[in-house]
Amino acid sequence: MHRARTCRQNSSRFCRQLFFDRLARILSCGAGFISLGTLAAIFVFLLVLAMPIFLEGQWGMILSMTWRPYQGHYGVLPMLAGSLALSVSAFAVAYPLGLGICLFACGPGPRTLRRGVMAVITFMTAIPTVVYGFVAVFLLVPMLNNAVTDRSGPSWLAACLTLALLVLPTIVLFLYETMRETEKRTRLTSASLGFSPLQALLLVVLPGSATGLRTAAVMGYCRALSDTLIPLMLAGNAPQLPTSLFDSIRTLTAHIALVVATDNSSPAFHSLFACGLFLFGMSLVMQALIRRKGMSAKPLGGICLNLLAALAGNRFCRALVHAWSASACALTLTAIGGLVIFLLSQSLPVFDMQLFFGDTPILAAIMGRAPVWDGIFAACAGTVILVALAVIMAIPAGIGAGVALSQYLHGRLGKMLRFSANILAGVPSIVMGLFGFSLIIFLRHTVAPEANTGLLLSAFCLALLILPYTINATAQSLETLPEELRLLGPSLGMTGLQSLRRILLPAASRGILGGVVLSMGRAAEDTAVILLTGVVAQGGLPRGLLDKFEALPFTIYYLAAQYQSADDLRKGFGAALTLLALTVFLYGGARMLRAGLENKWKN
Amino acid sequence: MNVWKHFSIAMIVGIFLIGGIAHATILENFAGQSGKIDIAGGTAHIPVMTEAAKRIMTANPDIRINIEGGGTGVGVQKAGEGLVDIGNTGRALSEDEIAKYGLVSFAFAVDGVCAVVNPANGVKDLSAAQVQDIFAGKITNWKDVGGTDAAITLYSRDEASGTREVFWGKMLKKGAIADSANIVASNGAMKVAVSQDANAIGYMSIGFVDASVKAPTLEGVEPSQDNAKSGAYKVARKLYMNTKGEPQGLTKLFIDYVTSPECTDIIAKAGYIPLK
Repeated sequence: MHRARTCRQNSSRFCRQLFFDRLARILSCGAGFISLGTLAAIFVFLLVLAMPIFLEGQWGMILSMTWRPYQGHYGVLPMLAGSLALSVSAFAVAYPLGLGICLFACGPGPRTLRRGVMAVITFMTAIPTVVYGFVAVFLLVPMLNNAVTDRSGPSWLAACLTLALLVLPTIVLFLYETMRETEKRTRLTSASLGFSPLQALLLVVLPGSATGLRTAAVMGYCRALSDTLIPLMLAGNAPQLPTSLFDSIRTLTAHIALVVATDNSSPAFHSLFACGLFLFGMSLVMQALIRRKGMSAKPLGGICLNLLAALAGNRFCRALVHAWSASACALTLTAIGGLVIFLLSQSLPVFDMQLFFGDTPILAAIMGRAPVWDGIFAACAGTVILVALAVIMAIPAGIGAGVALSQYLHGRLGKMLRFSANILAGVPSIVMGLFGFSLIIFLRHTVAPEANTGLLLSAFCLALLILPYTINATAQSLETLPEELRLLGPSLGMTGLQSLRRILLPAASRGILGGVVLSMGRAAEDTAVILLTGVVAQGGLPRGLLDKFEALPFTIYYLAAQYQSADDLRKGFGAALTLLALTVFLYGGARMLRAGLENKWKN
Repeated sequence: MNVWKHFSIAMIVGIFLIGGIAHATILENFAGQSGKIDIAGGTAHIPVMTEAAKRIMTANPDIRINIEGGGTGVGVQKAGEGLVDIGNTGRALSEDEIAKYGLVSFAFAVDGVCAVVNPANGVKDLSAAQVQDIFAGKITNWKDVGGTDAAITLYSRDEASGTREVFWGKMLKKGAIADSANIVASNGAMKVAVSQDANAIGYMSIGFVDASVKAPTLEGVEPSQDNAKSGAYKVARKLYMNTKGEPQGLTKLFIDYVTSPECTDIIAKAGYIPLK
């Protein structure tokens, strides 16, 4: 009798375990479809809101060269041209620079120097876009104005240089990773052929890193095309075809940010969604380009090889390459050094409690009993709450989807979901903001007429933006676990869920956590999304999820454009340093966690 | 004599009492209230709104007042759609806007709009025709209007701006604004942009003019709020708050407060002429 009960108990326990296993499987597979669903939703929303243009035959009006809504001209071609001009020019500056830096980092220079350069490049990934923009407004633009006498003000050139600096780390890190692998693989071959280090780099490593060269190019270009803040702050935003580098231009992204708050039924409003669709389509095509089968693995073309051979064969050219890679590093280091020194020199003197709390008693401010008028406390608190909310929403879905991709979904479906996560990662944040904005319009016209932009919507859109980071980090960490660990669970008779919970996830936790922290940094610095979904310049602490909120990146952007006193300006610098410190802290944490995981499994 | 003395004392006491009551009534109406007011729209209004909000929220921490800019167009649209409680506009609403959204307007100040240049610029006076030609892109060098030999950098506002609409209608007579003009998003941003660029010309609310920018006289008339009020300076408008339907509750209290004599110091400090 006693034995029978135990048996039944055991069997019911087993059933329960099986049930949980199934449930986890279904849930995580469901989460795997979130990225695909989001992509579809973005596409549908943008399409529906752009539809009136198609239906009313205003296509021709949109595809014209004049944007003067007050006279009935809604042409977006100048913005299209502006986007292309700015992204191509920034890319043309950044890519050769990045190549030079990679050659230096893999080259024969002193080890400490090379490491130092790479450390600076890694540090650059942590600098928020808005901080680049802020420093450029007060450092680069006046410099350009002094250097050039016949033009002044914001310009294509200022935006181009800043944007180049912004995309540089993306290019360098992608390329460097591949080049280092190739270099390790081919070291012996090169040595046995009697190549000098530079010749080896040019003749063996670069041709062998075709994948890295292409991926770095596409990723860098995508980053340049999808950025909103740099053109918004630095390019002048005139809706015209640029004829010189000193002209003012407007990109599609800045255009969306500038015009979005307009009459909901006007053609200007609908044309924005056409712009959004275009940006979305561009990022889709770009991602498809690098992930296409065979494309990324294809070796370099003949022209490139001949060029490299010519460079390596001629002593003068080799000297030139050396000089280029050294000066690329020097240029970048000078720019970043200048940026950091300028920021520190302006912000450290004002970096005190007064900056955060103004004249409000600190305790009262933190408890929310007294509003802070002259400090950035509300913005800091807003950013922290926003990031926390976004991460809380993104983590379960992201980890679930990552587990599904690495454990359950294989074959075509898995590939497709992976692809969709990568595309979601490439969606420009202004498009995500536009999606959030249209979501509110949709809700207001259907189920919730009271729906409004606010903290919850911003956090939701940010969560979608950082979801791919969590998915990829989880999937990658699980896949790089040693085979023994993977077999351990099943060999002990564990269900899939048990093995996952007790063995695999704990073992991969550092990598996953690293991905989460990295995505927190991303969420903390993003401005374009919150710009469209509920951030305000003056609002105090949010009292609820539906309240409007302040946030650090927006405060910095706002103060850069319209500080009204020297105090305001100092506050802007202080806020910029605070945000930089926050993101550097988060990115540093992410790197340490990742590095810890790597060491653990390597040794 | 004695009667006069008593009478004057009574008068003085009476004045103080009335003053005291008047002072107490409007800001004290907020006592015990809680809730929030969302405000968006005209950027010229922001200094007034912020200061009023500051006074109200400091006395009553349970009230939250959010202030956004965006420009007049945003004020009309957001108030009309019910996204905010008060939509500010730097111009009177059009018939269409009133009919479409059922908005009710409350003016509280007079404000002029003037062309501004960098303080380093030597140009002291511009004619209306010169300003029109500069913004149309026909005059492109400062030397053509009596300045140094330097290319003019134009700054304009986005389409949502009421300041732009007033300047375009009353100053440029609805003439063209060159596409090459840089676009900034608010009066505050215009001041920053023009103060940082030695060759700049832009336009903004007279209330925002301070030492960091210079407003050249227009055909000899100094662009000042007094001249705007007297009519000597023609490019002027009123600043409005608008609500969808008659304002209720907190929103009504806020509008009463801003349009009351109690707020005249705030409005005057922001550089506008109060209507009360």
